[in-house]
Amino acid sequence: MKKSFLKASVLGLMVTGIFLQSAQAQSDPTGKRRVTGTYAITNATLFASPGQPGTKSTVLFKDGVILGVGSGISIPAGTKVISGDSLFIYPGFIDGAGSMGVTKPKDPEKPKDFVSSAPPDELAGITPWRSVVDQFDPNSGDVNDWRKAGFTISNLIPDGGMISGKSAIMVLGDGNSTNLIRSNTALAANFRGSRGMYPATAAGVMAKFRDVYQNSTLALEHESLFASNAGVSRPKTTPTQTGMAAVIQKQIPVIFEAPRELEIRRAISLQKELGFNLILTGLENYENVIPLLKSSGILVLIQLSLPDDKAIKAQKEEGVSEATQAQYARVKEAYESALKQAAKLEAAGIPFAFSTSGAKSGDALKNLRTMIENGLSEKAAMAALTTNAASILGISRMAGTIEKGKLANFIVSTDSIFNEDAQIKHVVADGYIFDYEVKRKTSNGNGTTKPGEGISIAGVWEYQTESPAGSTGGELEFTKQGSGYEGTITYDDPAGSGKVKAPVKNVALNGNQVSFEFDVDAGGTTITVSISGEISGSTMDGTMSIAQFGSFPISAKLASPSL
Amino acid sequence: MKKLTYILAALLGLGLNSQAQTPKGSILIKNATVLTITQGNQENTDVLVQDGIIKQIGKNLSAPSGVSTIDATGKYLMPGIIDAHSHVALDVVNEASAPITSEVRMKDVVNPFEIGIYRALAGGVTISHAMHGSANVVGGQNATLKHRWGAKDPAEIIMQDAPRTIKFALGENPTRVHGRGNGIQPRTRMGVEAVLRNGFNEAIQYKKAWETYNAAKSQKGNTTPPPAYSERLQTLADILDGKIIIHCHSYRADEIYMLINVARDFGIKKLVFQHTNEGFKVAPEIAEYTMGASVFADWWSYKFEVYYSTAFNAAILQRNGALTSINSDSAELIRHLYHEAAKTQRYGGLTDDEALAMITINPAKQLGIDDKVGSIEVGKQADLVVFEGHPLSSYAIPQMTFVDGVKYFDIKEDKDDQRQLIAATEMVEPIFLRADEEAHRCMQDVDAYFEAFQGAFLLEEEHHH
Repeated sequence: MKKSFLKASVLGLMVTGIFLQSAQAQSDPTGKRRVTGTYAITNATLFASPGQPGTKSTVLFKDGVILGVGSGISIPAGTKVISGDSLFIYPGFIDGAGSMGVTKPKDPEKPKDFVSSAPPDELAGITPWRSVVDQFDPNSGDVNDWRKAGFTISNLIPDGGMISGKSAIMVLGDGNSTNLIRSNTALAANFRGSRGMYPATAAGVMAKFRDVYQNSTLALEHESLFASNAGVSRPKTTPTQTGMAAVIQKQIPVIFEAPRELEIRRAISLQKELGFNLILTGLENYENVIPLLKSSGILVLIQLSLPDDKAIKAQKEEGVSEATQAQYARVKEAYESALKQAAKLEAAGIPFAFSTSGAKSGDALKNLRTMIENGLSEKAAMAALTTNAASILGISRMAGTIEKGKLANFIVSTDSIFNEDAQIKHVVADGYIFDYEVKRKTSNGNGTTKPGEGISIAGVWEYQTESPAGSTGGELEFTKQGSGYEGTITYDDPAGSGKVKAPVKNVALNGNQVSFEFDVDAGGTTITVSISGEISGSTMDGTMSIAQFGSFPISAKLASPSL
Repeated sequence: MKKLTYILAALLGLGLNSQAQTPKGSILIKNATVLTITQGNQENTDVLVQDGIIKQIGKNLSAPSGVSTIDATGKYLMPGIIDAHSHVALDVVNEASAPITSEVRMKDVVNPFEIGIYRALAGGVTISHAMHGSANVVGGQNATLKHRWGAKDPAEIIMQDAPRTIKFALGENPTRVHGRGNGIQPRTRMGVEAVLRNGFNEAIQYKKAWETYNAAKSQKGNTTPPPAYSERLQTLADILDGKIIIHCHSYRADEIYMLINVARDFGIKKLVFQHTNEGFKVAPEIAEYTMGASVFADWWSYKFEVYYSTAFNAAILQRNGALTSINSDSAELIRHLYHEAAKTQRYGGLTDDEALAMITINPAKQLGIDDKVGSIEVGKQADLVVFEGHPLSSYAIPQMTFVDGVKYFDIKEDKDDQRQLIAATEMVEPIFLRADEEAHRCMQDVDAYFEAFQGAFLLEEEHHH
């Protein structure tokens, strides 16, 4: 009797819900329209720009734009007021180069007359005509995660090959709004070769980049000759050349992904040779090239990720030889100096910003705090996250500080943002308020789940791996068998073309750490390939090692089921 | 001082990478047996180096103020060893994806941190020819490196005053990768020749198209549009114009003679054969028409086209008047090229000077740098090695190695860990010490395995000959 009563009330609630929705439907079919676009956060400690002391202020904003900041702000009727007492307000973070919510478009089918030595540009990863705007989903979980970490604007980089297309600046506001701030902000390039075709290596990519650049320059010359002189043959400008024109004419820069110092030098040498405007992004190891970055005046976006400390933690205290101890000391030194790199950029007076690509949103604040512990000033960290990024992206007029007329992008936190106990309570992006649960007495600010809790690897994963000579990939499938996993992997057939499927063995899942092996038959000899990685959401990052050949980075994405 | 340099560089708009000043040293080496290579052996002799250049060779020289002295009594001093075929210090070796990739530059992918440089120095090698791999008929342009260990800027280890060289390859490698692997030309040795001749003919047309355009573009009312740009064809045109030395991977006599004929037809004179295991069959032709051959002392049978080989190859080539050098093509052999040179005495009875020339002045000539290095002569760059024991002795051990008068290796200061770059996230990088037998076998498997991956996994630490 009791049970059926409960059922009835649940049903009743559902009916009421449907009824309410249909009642609203006349004016707002989505039922998502907010009551007001005007908000005020009152009496909070507000930090308007990097290095400025916090002042007790109220900030009033309407439809995504700041109307007033200060202590004597009068609040119009119909404003939704959020009490900011005890809260801290900062300008929303700006990401110099991100990949959140960006999905790589499917490669077209290979044409029947495909020749790997001269593939069509689109297959070879040369797609300067593409725009990230077509690849972006503002409702993706990744966008939510980065917003939760305080990021309100991102310059999104299209996914693809060596010249993947044009980046665009998006505000990370409501998923159903038009979030585009500026399209065609830069041309994205990197040193990744295309798999199994020209150009396959960094050396080939550099040669091909020169070729594309020079021929795009000549195409423009041909067009202007055609426009001015009669009797000139019709210019047969390709989509690639059209897509490159804005770079050749210096209207937009090339944003070159160059993690390691040698890649940084390579990008700079291409820039010096060809003369384009350059922004370097994804910098990971750059300590040795800081003087070069300084002297060349090139704009830089460093990775928001830091090296993991597994190698340091795995160092044994006892039972190791003196020689091993000396090697340990060098690894430790390398690790410690990696943490200090950002501080050294600051000391050199280079106004850098960050790139979120490749970083984990849940680690963002933790990494920033680590950089600060290692010598980066809070002011420089905040500038990198706000004003420097705005200046590099050319949007200082509208973003980077909390001022009247600028976009209503803020972080509202429970404490001084770089303080270990600080938690983000609200993020305001494009004037939309996003609320986050604040946990008491936890050391982990964003309340992320414990690693390994309920992680399953079952499903189909698409993996990609990089070696000095190029990239390759395939599919990984895991199925749960009892308490463990079984699975298969596909890889390029060593004896010809196409893919081979092989069983994987020794699958181990420990927390969020996964490892497994598979065997490759190489002309009678069996080569064992070992893979280990860390699962984070629907992605896996790790290393693939082949005995005697070394190890290479591997990354995988869960293709189905999607999380 | 450093700061000032940076400010100056910034003012001048220069990147420090392209205008790198390489270190130059001054030193007086006393009382050595000086193996000059070109001017005989001089006992109890001093060599004075100032600012990286050999200034004086003689007896009882005194050190100018500020120049330190090394006592080399009882030791041998020879010019720095030059390896005409190596893949040391390259991040990428093979852009294997097209039959002609002459637009690819090894100078783009030089890695000055590779430990192989230090190991080469420990074997007395001061210059290596860092070559593109042999997967293509015309591979990339090579880099001639000076082993200035400790440099962080790749430009600092590139020998900037060395002429341009390029890799060619004949035979099984290009036909396997492109013909068998991808079903395109060349599938046979005939196809290799066709790729070469077509390439050069296209380059001639390319050059002509640009000459026509350059002449027309300044004319009023010009209607000639610019031709397409191709560094690939421009590089081939530069070869035809004698601006680049070809270094061609080759084994069989017939294909060696084929390339000699192609070169003669196109008026190409700057041609060196690499490996050249059947060179002994066409030694007079190599001597007459080319800049000689760079060979292994005794390494063969790692694939079918390399079965017909002899350890007398170098001596036969040499005595037929072909310029001959001994190379390593290996991170291991590069550490004892003096042993490799000595094998020409066991197999062929070459003189000391002939044997040592094969790892010094002869490779210098083949790289076009013999006016600067390759012997101990006044005015040359001070690339020097001090040996305990005669370098052709089985007991020889290099003691110190100098590049431009700067000491980069000293056996007495040899630390356990000489790495320049340490990964923060790896415990200890794996080091593989292999027996020779294993390396051979391993190479074969790896060749077949990895080439089928279409170059995606070609690794520089493996062999590429």
